[in-house]
Amino acid sequence: MLAFFAAALLPALYWDQGLSTANAVKQAGVERLFVPADQVPAWKSQGFEAQAFDGAKFVKLPAPGVEYKMDVAAATSLPWVDANGWRFARNGNRAYYYDAPWRKAALAAAEAYANGVTAVIHPDARDLARFGTMLAFLKSIDGTDLPAMANIGILDDGSEETGEVLNLMARRNLLFRVVPAPDPSLDLNVQIGSPDFPKEEAADPFAFATLVRRKLTDEKRLLRLYGSDVVLGRLNGDAAHARVHLINYGGGKVDGLRVRVRGEYAHGTLAAFGVQNAALADYAVSDGGTEFTIPTMDVYAVVDLRK
Amino acid sequence: MQAAASAPAALATTLHEDLPKYRVVSRFQPSAHPGMPGPYPGKVARVHAAKCIDEQSEKVDAAVVREMMAQGMRALTGDKDVRDSWARFFTPSDVVGIKVNCSGAPRIMSTPEVVAEIVRNLGAVGVKPEKVWIYERFGNQVNTVHYDRFVPAGVNIWTAEQSRGSIAGYDPGIYVDVNFFGEEDTRSNLARLVVDPLTKIINVPNMKDHGAAGVTGCLKNIAYGSFSNVARSHSGFKTNTYSFIGTLAAVEPLRSRTVLQIMDGLRGVWHGGPFSYNRKFRFYPKEMMFGTDPVSVDRLLLDVIDSKRAAEHASSVWDRSMANVKSGWNYDDNPSINRFIREPGHIEYASKLALGVYDIGKMQVRKIEL
Repeated sequence: MLAFFAAALLPALYWDQGLSTANAVKQAGVERLFVPADQVPAWKSQGFEAQAFDGAKFVKLPAPGVEYKMDVAAATSLPWVDANGWRFARNGNRAYYYDAPWRKAALAAAEAYANGVTAVIHPDARDLARFGTMLAFLKSIDGTDLPAMANIGILDDGSEETGEVLNLMARRNLLFRVVPAPDPSLDLNVQIGSPDFPKEEAADPFAFATLVRRKLTDEKRLLRLYGSDVVLGRLNGDAAHARVHLINYGGGKVDGLRVRVRGEYAHGTLAAFGVQNAALADYAVSDGGTEFTIPTMDVYAVVDLRK
Repeated sequence: MQAAASAPAALATTLHEDLPKYRVVSRFQPSAHPGMPGPYPGKVARVHAAKCIDEQSEKVDAAVVREMMAQGMRALTGDKDVRDSWARFFTPSDVVGIKVNCSGAPRIMSTPEVVAEIVRNLGAVGVKPEKVWIYERFGNQVNTVHYDRFVPAGVNIWTAEQSRGSIAGYDPGIYVDVNFFGEEDTRSNLARLVVDPLTKIINVPNMKDHGAAGVTGCLKNIAYGSFSNVARSHSGFKTNTYSFIGTLAAVEPLRSRTVLQIMDGLRGVWHGGPFSYNRKFRFYPKEMMFGTDPVSVDRLLLDVIDSKRAAEHASSVWDRSMANVKSGWNYDDNPSINRFIREPGHIEYASKLALGVYDIGKMQVRKIEL
């Protein structure tokens, strides 16, 4: 299985609709796929690079998206974003599987790619073409791997409680990584149960994430998003470059998203899924930060910055 | 509560010692002669006309509105010819925004006949229709009014958010940054139109109660109606309208460009505002107020709304009793129930930002009856 993914960490398709759909799969631009074990020879005979799907080898993920839970996170009526970024941060580089309901396959693919994880996506049959379009988009932007950027370290005890804290931090674009011990190179280290982060505070993960944000301060945040409650960001980079991944969980287009990245980058380029000739607007560099606007975005956009 | 009603200014001062920390970002410098409070601080012309609107049909008499506006503008400026009054504020080279209020539309809004009369007067001093922009934040509200049926062809109708929640219609470089309740998006940005191409703005609010601000008049309309992401200032029973409204209104270039306040009180809402879902809370002051000082006009509005509420045996807008604050929709049926603790002190607060004169003893109010 690992060899199958070796070319790149592009999401793979699990397709169980039978060989009669081979033309549709080809038209979607998919050449490599997982299929039920008994169909492997048939798909290979049609020229596909097919491999048997074994669900036991993957960690199954909930479908990404947005829902309204008015009784949860009562401090706000904001939509509840179902995102898996925190699970990737917790579980590391394992292989994941999405059983994606209708209209979620492209989002799942973008989420997995942005987080740099190996993933297989089982789409609703109606999403095949859109999944293929997303795959082509991901290939078009694929390039040098840059390490994930984070300035918050969190000691993860593996508990459900800490998992919710990770979830809420990710939802608020507080960029963290799981560390085995406090890392002095980071701006903030979070250890639940320490004097700064009492265990009882974690009982309310929303409030806990607010506490983390307050202790970090907004000035030190690596990434800020303005103008949407349903877009989550991820940042990769080195000393001279940064790549901003923007994932829209909302299901509709987002217009005018404003982004602030800590650090001054003189140049930026935009690639936005489903948008021809996408370009950044209102680009500004000042006060130790770089800001720009994404005029319109569908499910996924990537901004490459360089100093 | 009694103390509050009798001494609102003192109450407002004592209850708000710990204000949010605002960071104002703008590339525009303060003007030596800002539009607010403008050349007539503390001066308000009030014109009442019993025949301006029929209470049953809500049909507006445009000829009466024309006379109200003529007399009001002349009283404000002291000119004999109303064209001279308008020419004090506008020249043919100006690009003029008319900030309407449509949050209660289509039941209550800046009356189309009033807006049309403003456009006519602008035309009389040489401002062509193409250089007039009727603007508001939300397209879905403005679209219910059909201003285009009342104004000459060429007049622009613009909304910042055709798609609700999008900030594409706002200037990314002019904003107020403040964290009220831990919200993620801490910025409220100024509408792009205000920055370019407008050179002048006429503010046309209604006379309305407001569940959060106490009343919504000149200050609330120009502030919350020109910036994005302002509803975040309310959460639970608390609202930060006390300081946020004035802070936004004072941001350049909004402050400099808003040169005329025309309060449209043909209709009013004495409870449940800024909306008007319940007909029984609508009333008809049949009055318009003219000024350049939004604080003074709003100070008078406070009395209009609170007097009407008293006449209807409803709680005062100054009432801060938690017993009368409840969530849900009861507020829209019971005039003594409210969603928030109202903050009518926002008007006095704005005076401290030098946006106008709050002390009624220092105001010049000219009343005209038609």
